[in-house]
Amino acid sequence: MKFFMKSMIAALAFTGLAVPAAAQEASPMSLSSDVKLVKIETNEAGVSERTLVAPNVIVPGDRLIFGTDYANSGAEPITGFVVTNPVHEKVRLASDADPELSVSVDGGKSWGKLAALTVKSEDGSDRAAAHADVTHVRWVLASVQPGESGRLEYPVIIR
Amino acid sequence: MKTQHHINLSLVALPLIALCAAPAHAEGVSAGSLIENTATATYDDGDGPRSVDSNTVVLAVDELLDVTITSLDPGPIGVVPGSTVLTFELTNTGNGPEAFELTANPAVGGNDFDTTVDDIAVDTNGNGVYDPGVDTILTGPATSPVLAEDENITVFVITTVPAGVADGDQSDVELTAEAVTGTGTPGTTFAGQGVNGVDAIVGLTGADDTALGSLIAGITTVDLTKAASVVDPFGGTSVVPGSTVTFTITANVSGSGSVDDLVITDAIPTDTTYVPGTLTLDSGALTDASGDDAGEASATDISVDLGTVSGGASHAVTFDVTID
Repeated sequence: MKFFMKSMIAALAFTGLAVPAAAQEASPMSLSSDVKLVKIETNEAGVSERTLVAPNVIVPGDRLIFGTDYANSGAEPITGFVVTNPVHEKVRLASDADPELSVSVDGGKSWGKLAALTVKSEDGSDRAAAHADVTHVRWVLASVQPGESGRLEYPVIIR
Repeated sequence: MKTQHHINLSLVALPLIALCAAPAHAEGVSAGSLIENTATATYDDGDGPRSVDSNTVVLAVDELLDVTITSLDPGPIGVVPGSTVLTFELTNTGNGPEAFELTANPAVGGNDFDTTVDDIAVDTNGNGVYDPGVDTILTGPATSPVLAEDENITVFVITTVPAGVADGDQSDVELTAEAVTGTGTPGTTFAGQGVNGVDAIVGLTGADDTALGSLIAGITTVDLTKAASVVDPFGGTSVVPGSTVTFTITANVSGSGSVDDLVITDAIPTDTTYVPGTLTLDSGALTDASGDDAGEASATDISVDLGTVSGGASHAVTFDVTID
C-alpha cells in the first residue's frame, strides 16, 4: 500500500512536469507503448512465417516492433496530433520500415522521408541518410475524433 | 521443435550480419544493455497545445554466447622429436564477458603420428611467443580468463613429438573452445545466466569452435663419404713415398628440414703431410688460417664449418697430403 501511494505521487509529479500548461485536467489523449519480438519461423510447407511474440530473450540482430496505441477518450476532437518517438541508440530502424514514415537524422531538429535526407560523412561531404542514421520517427495526424483510436508501429533491429 | 527454433534464429540473424558490416562495433549491443522506448504526442484539444507521454518500454539485451578459435601458425610447423608449440587465437565474439574451456585433442583422424599434449597456456605477456615460466599454464579443466566482448587472446598448445617419426609425417592437433556458461544448438537459452542476470543464449557458432594446428616432421640426416685419389711422382697412381693423395669428403644432407652448425673435420693420416693451401670447399680455395673463412688446416687436421645446411644440399671438401 505504501508503495502504491508512492507510485501515485510519482505519477502525478510526472504528469505535472510533462504538461505544465494543462496539469489541471487529465489528457483526453492516451498513449500506450509496447514492444514485440519478430520471430520468423519456417512452417512445414517450407514457407517462412512471421509471428510476434513477447520479447523474453533478445540479442543483437533480433527484430523488434515498437508500437504505440493512441485513443481519444475525450468528448472533443483534437487536432495537430503529432507522435514523436526517439529511436534508441542501441537499435536501428529496420530497412523494411515504411518509406513514407517521417524521420529525423539530426536528433529531431528536421524531418522528412528518409530518401530525402542527408547526413555529413566523415570527410565533410553529404551522403544519403541510411536507416541506421535515423534518430527519431514521428507520425502526424490532422485530427483524432472522440472515441477514435489507432496504432502506430515502427520496426527496429538491435544493433 | 528444437530444430525449428534453430532455423528461425539463423534466418533472423544472417541478414543482420550482412547489414552490420559497417558499424565500428563488431558484434552488437553489450549484454545487459537496456533499450528504452517512449512515445510523446503533442496535439491541440481546442484549449491550446498539450503534450502526453506514453509509458516507457524497457528491454534488457540478453547475452549471446559466441566464440571463434583460429590457428595463428602460417602453415604446418616443421618439428623434430621433442617439445613443440602450436599457436591459436581465441576470440569472444559474443556480446558479454565469458570464459572458455579449452580442450586439445592430439589424436585427429588421418594423423601419421599423434603428439602428446603437455600444456595449454595463454600468452600472458602478449608477445605472441610462448615463454615458459611467464605465460600462464591453464590447469584442468583448461579455462581461459574471462574475455570481454570482442576481446581475443593468444593460446599456446605445448605438445611433445614422439621419437621415431619419419621425415614428412604429418600430425594435426585440434583445439576446441566452449563457452563456460554452456553450448548447444543456436537459440539454446540459459535462463538468468548472462551478465547482470539476463538470459544467456547460444549464438550461431553454437558457443563452441574448433581449429586445427598442423605439424610436419622435418627429419634431416647427414651422410659423409670420403674418397681418395692418388698421383705418384711418376704420373701413375701408385701409393709410394712422394705420392700426393687428394681426399674428397662429401656431405649429403637429406630430409625436409635443415641442420645447424654442420662442421666437417678430418685428421691428417699418420705418415702423411698436409700440403699447405690445398683446402677447398665446393671447388673454392680456403686459407689454412682460422677465422678468415669457413675452413682452417694445420699439420694435424682440417676443419670446415658449413653452418646451416638445408635438406637436399651437398657440399664437397678436398685437401691434399703427401706420403712420407
